[in-house]
Amino acid sequence: MAKYKVVHYVNQFYGQIGGEEKADIPPEKHEGKLGPGLGLATALGDDYEIVETIICGDSYFGEHMDEALPVITKWVEEIKPDLFIAGPAFNAGRYGVACGAVCKAVGELGIPTVTGMYEENPGADMYKSDTIIVKTRDSAAGMRKAVPAMAKIAKKLAEGEELGSAEEEGYIPTGVRTNYFAEERGSKRAVDMLVKKLAGEPFITEYPMPIFDKVDPAPAVKDLSKATIALVTSGGIVPKGNPDRIESSSASKYGEYSIEGIADLDPSNSETAHGGYDPVYANEDADRVLPVDVLREMEKDGEIGKLFERFYTTTGNGTAVASAKKFAEEIAQKLKNANVDAVILTST
Amino acid sequence: MGKYIVTNNPLVKEKLEDFVTVEYLDVDYPGLLEAVRDLVHQGAILLTHPLSGSVKPNETPYKSVLLTEGSDKLTDLESIKLIESAILTAKKFIEDKPDFERNFTERVRKDCQLIDYTLIYSALPSAGISTI
Amino acid sequence: MKLQLGYIDIKDIQFDKNPRIENGVLFVDPDALIQSVLQDELIKDAHFEIARPGESVRITPVKDVIQPRVKVEGEGGIFPGVMAKTTTVGSGVTHVLRGMSVVTVGRIVGFQEGIIDMTGPGADYTPFSKLNNLCLVMEPVENFKQHEYEHAARMAGFRVACEIAEMARNLTPDETQEFETVSIKESFKQYPDLPRVAYVQMLQSQGLLHDTYVYGVDAKRIVPTIIYPTETMDGAIISGNCVSACDKNTTYHHQNNPVVAELYAAHGKTINFVGQVITNENVYLADKIRSSDWTAKLCEYLAVDGAIISQEGFGNPDTDLIMNCTKIEDKGIKTVIITDEYAGQDGKSQSLADADPKANACVTGGNANMVIHLPKMDKVIGTLDYVDKIAGGHDGSLAEDGSIEAELQVITGATNEMGFNKLSAR
Repeated sequence: MAKYKVVHYVNQFYGQIGGEEKADIPPEKHEGKLGPGLGLATALGDDYEIVETIICGDSYFGEHMDEALPVITKWVEEIKPDLFIAGPAFNAGRYGVACGAVCKAVGELGIPTVTGMYEENPGADMYKSDTIIVKTRDSAAGMRKAVPAMAKIAKKLAEGEELGSAEEEGYIPTGVRTNYFAEERGSKRAVDMLVKKLAGEPFITEYPMPIFDKVDPAPAVKDLSKATIALVTSGGIVPKGNPDRIESSSASKYGEYSIEGIADLDPSNSETAHGGYDPVYANEDADRVLPVDVLREMEKDGEIGKLFERFYTTTGNGTAVASAKKFAEEIAQKLKNANVDAVILTST
Repeated sequence: MGKYIVTNNPLVKEKLEDFVTVEYLDVDYPGLLEAVRDLVHQGAILLTHPLSGSVKPNETPYKSVLLTEGSDKLTDLESIKLIESAILTAKKFIEDKPDFERNFTERVRKDCQLIDYTLIYSALPSAGISTI
Repeated sequence: MKLQLGYIDIKDIQFDKNPRIENGVLFVDPDALIQSVLQDELIKDAHFEIARPGESVRITPVKDVIQPRVKVEGEGGIFPGVMAKTTTVGSGVTHVLRGMSVVTVGRIVGFQEGIIDMTGPGADYTPFSKLNNLCLVMEPVENFKQHEYEHAARMAGFRVACEIAEMARNLTPDETQEFETVSIKESFKQYPDLPRVAYVQMLQSQGLLHDTYVYGVDAKRIVPTIIYPTETMDGAIISGNCVSACDKNTTYHHQNNPVVAELYAAHGKTINFVGQVITNENVYLADKIRSSDWTAKLCEYLAVDGAIISQEGFGNPDTDLIMNCTKIEDKGIKTVIITDEYAGQDGKSQSLADADPKANACVTGGNANMVIHLPKMDKVIGTLDYVDKIAGGHDGSLAEDGSIEAELQVITGATNEMGFNKLSAR
């Protein structure tokens, strides 16, 4: 019998159930190892045994997290493993979020957890302080490297060894601040850092500033009554039926839709694709997220010049900053080309 | 342009209302900051830092902020930034110790009021508000 | 301006009817010394106790820590504008009682904090556990006004420190050290090839229990100015700050400013340390803008290439820190800032209340929210009555067995933002 029991979590694809068409399957369990678990088992060695693999569809997890999590944690509790491993998820957004959320919940049971993701996976930022996330490449081509790296850290955690720094071990910095006694006192460290900074040599700050992408507000619109105003939203409002199948979370695309001749959004013409909030009120009256009705009135009263005939929409929930940035650049260019004067951005 | 204090500290109202407009609100610390945020959205400008004092938001229930009516009704972006980040910070502290007030004695309460009073009082000369 | 410090090492403190310093032992007569404390009518009762390194002793609530020093040669006296005339200090010879301090102890407000443990885990976090501490424990009269009593308690500490230091006037120091800062013109000639560096020190100045005094002037009423670093060694800057124990700068910190010490140590080797700028941390936003503008202007005027900025406190001083940093950087002057963190007990929250990408070189004194368990000590100097209410303590902090569970915040000097300690965070 192996010394350490391991439970492994994968999605429907790596669980060999199917692709996107099977993404809505609820959690199921499978005895022993499966898919990437085979490589993991080899990397973990004989002292470890993957006793169970839990599989859940990415869409199901994203849309029913509150139902999926208790089921999964209950199964894990029944086994009482020494270690829990999820993924790796690479750059798959919904999978990454699921791996992070499952690891967090299992971690709360006092079981060490490890997962693996590409740095820009939205799950990485959401869960980096809740579990150890090993840095991987952005696609499954990185599997061969990811698995041994995850196994190495997982073994340290299971065996109670202290982890080195994020840089040394190759995981995503947890953002958890831990006190320690440095070699030199703070004032000496400050002088040494300044000397390096003055000499143009590399130095390491002890507290990296959180970076916010700051954008200066554009100058005010001089005359609203002559301005063309566009609506752009990350609230997921789409024409009835979601024709472009914009994802409910971790969107990979945005939509561009006409509102020509539409004075009011209602359940017959609009709905929300967003999976991050209770959709009832948006589905009842999508103007609550995308205020077409009010702008039409303002247009009629001459308060604004006109409402631009198209709107742009995506779901902001779990969408990678890099993707959002790409969408925004394209949308902005289109709006500029159409001589739109100002934009109202709505979120949820 | 009128300057006024928004506070949940009864001592500030008692001591300063003869010298400056004091709007007293019966709310907790985050509630007070949120009320200030609402005023800023309506055009008020912050004159004092909302996180004044080394006594942390989970160590005192009292907070006073000095504001001025803006010259127009535009929202002052610097003020919004400050008050929003102050609300986040205050909530972060209170989450760590939600029941910090539970065993406050009357004397501790009075001392908290006094400290908050002196913090806002220290700003009055800079604001040109005389207390003589 | 040149100052020589003569260190008289104090290895122990004893009570004795015959006050003297002999073979490194300080003998004080508590009955005689207490008289100068009790002459203040606001102080009802006071007594002395001694706490030595390694003893099972907890001192709380600590108000201030003061190092006794005496001016032996040169203009002025220690604590100018407060205990001596306002004459400019910082030159000549000053004797320092090294290895000891006077700690003022006692309640000023009900939630005031400050713990110094002389042994155990808490002792690792405070520099004052390594000193022989003469503790002055005070009790106010009934119905006192807090700001008047704070003043009385502050002055009592200085009086005691000065009286003790007087005994060292005619002693031969165990060690001497010289510090000199020259005029701006001279400084260009002195080390023309080394980068010019200034020290920008931010002083807490928000109101009662949050004040700092410069030559006796309340720092919130100053505009930023230039001071010779040696002036601070003679007590030009004193603390009136009684809350936020972990990151308040006690008078001892000002007298032994670690940034000044390290900049002098590097002076002539890797940098040219040309002077010190002091500024305040007021609550009024226009004051913040003015002070940070002036700080940057003075750095530019001193023609420096780099500056180290130290902070005191948390919250609104973070705004001053970032304003100072960005405005000085905007002048093309490279900065390193020293701060501490409030990242939550789990270390996951945003550490500072303000931030800017220009603050790319930061030294931290550690996360003040870290929870620490302080075991019971055999003796308490002061009182544990307020431990549940002190900043960083909480309801139930004080266990029945006399142990304390609280945040690092409660420990005097634990996350000092002048970089006094080795503590950091990552």
